[in-house]
Amino acid sequence: MIGRPLFSGFALGRTHLAIPVALVLVLGCIVPLGVLVVFSVFEVDFDAFVLMPALSPRAWSDLFHTWSFWVLIGKAVISGAAAALTTSILGYPIALALASAPLNWKGIGTVVLLTPLYTGEIVRIYAWRIVLGSEGLINTLLLDLHIVASPVKWLLFTPFTTALVLTYNNLPYMVLAIWVSAEMVDKRLIEAARDLGARPLDAFFKVTLPLTTPGLAAGVFAVFALAAGEMLTPSLLGGTSGQTAMAMIDNLFGTAFDWPLASALALALLAALFLTAVALGFCLTRFKGARAVIGRGRA
Amino acid sequence: MNRFAAATLALATTFLYLPIVVLAVFSFNDSDLMAFPLTGFSLRWYEELAGNAAFHSGFVTSFLVAQPVGLIGMVAGLMAALALTSPKLKFRLAFAALILVPFLVPKSVLSIAQAMIMSRIHLERGAVALILAQSLVVIPFTTALISAVLIRVDPRLDEAARDLGATPWQSFRLVLLPQLNSALAGAYSIGVILSLADLTISMFLAGRTQPLSLMVASEFRHDLRPDLNAMQVTVLALTAVIVALSELYRRHRARPQRLADRAATAEPIEAAP
Repeated sequence: MIGRPLFSGFALGRTHLAIPVALVLVLGCIVPLGVLVVFSVFEVDFDAFVLMPALSPRAWSDLFHTWSFWVLIGKAVISGAAAALTTSILGYPIALALASAPLNWKGIGTVVLLTPLYTGEIVRIYAWRIVLGSEGLINTLLLDLHIVASPVKWLLFTPFTTALVLTYNNLPYMVLAIWVSAEMVDKRLIEAARDLGARPLDAFFKVTLPLTTPGLAAGVFAVFALAAGEMLTPSLLGGTSGQTAMAMIDNLFGTAFDWPLASALALALLAALFLTAVALGFCLTRFKGARAVIGRGRA
Repeated sequence: MNRFAAATLALATTFLYLPIVVLAVFSFNDSDLMAFPLTGFSLRWYEELAGNAAFHSGFVTSFLVAQPVGLIGMVAGLMAALALTSPKLKFRLAFAALILVPFLVPKSVLSIAQAMIMSRIHLERGAVALILAQSLVVIPFTTALISAVLIRVDPRLDEAARDLGATPWQSFRLVLLPQLNSALAGAYSIGVILSLADLTISMFLAGRTQPLSLMVASEFRHDLRPDLNAMQVTVLALTAVIVALSELYRRHRARPQRLADRAATAEPIEAAP
């Protein structure tokens, strides 16, 4: 180590690169969210359509006294949690299958898994209408096979549609998260459990599941956040049930010009999502054995 | 891999590609109605698409917006990843959480809040606002992608370069950057792709700019039309080309690296003096 420069400029410079990025993120994300707090106590002159600085509790009181807002927030939380649940149930077998696949399959697997994510939101919504419509793929198949006598109507424009498409949209994120965790599990642990007489399901619940909890948790958070905040899928595919908190915020912001109420509702939604995410995280760390894994990961 | 795993993967692929395949099939179907049974093969929706000037300009707009998004996302992701993977970073957890904010906060809430500020301080919404907002949303993805590669780069290479007299900048440019080529290409293409796919941010911030997704959304609210199918398939095909090219590039770059890795693991003792 002769001649090593006294000042380790690069390592120092490297951490400093965080500053501009952090600044941009604070300016672009944190400040706008902070401004929501400010706007939520402003007043609106609905005759002149101007927003006036004030310290008014009007929007918050409206929010707390209108139960339909809370129904919408509850719906967002439930649809996020439901998507997290369905994607984790479907995602586990897929992720474990990918983890057990030969190496050259894994690269193909990544591309196959990620390509649907690259299709625009609108493309997916559009495609599902063709699949699920009364003259769509599923109904045609069911009719041709004489399984049903008339087209199944509840496939499209119902809560089922929303749940299905939210699952579809978010499945790749969940699979990726669990897959990364599953790759790090020592396969010999599962073999040992099987050799000692554990049935496949027992081995899964007692060995694989606790060891992959960090990946599952990351997937649950991501899917929950993405699905709960989704506006277009419910409104274009959910039919009359498709009203969402997001669409209501959009409405208050655009059509009604009630920015204070829009801000208050957006903040309430964010708070509800955050609290649910914390609760979900808390539940996941309660899994038998999961705490040890997460704790070791931190050490 | 056993039979159960293979069946699972086959089912998953079917589920993930079912809507896309149906879309493609109908784009070649010779009928105004998007319903079964199919009526015959036709390229007329693609012909109609080729003659539609509005779609052309929408496509050019989307393309022009996507390039700077890819570039900004890549550079910001590189900077964030360099900081995150440096062992000396303070407030690492806070910085990581900050990077995740654009991913975790619903895009629509973020865009509405940004739109409110912009209209309050009389900034016009348009292409610039759209590019900046989309770049923000891309940062978590590019940072994760570049960090994943950066964390595996041997820090001794930088130390060796520095010991041999390279300046920090030279070491970065000549030693580190070449190892990140494929990750940077991946980050760039993910930015371009997410920008092309975006509709939510465009709805609130595009102003008078009309990217393709916005155009499709306004047409599609009224009725389904087969020429939109053809357009979606065209966009998908182009996206697939971007993905395939960047994947090929990655593999091309990764091959010598893998050989070097193998050589290094084969003779660990001889390699360390």
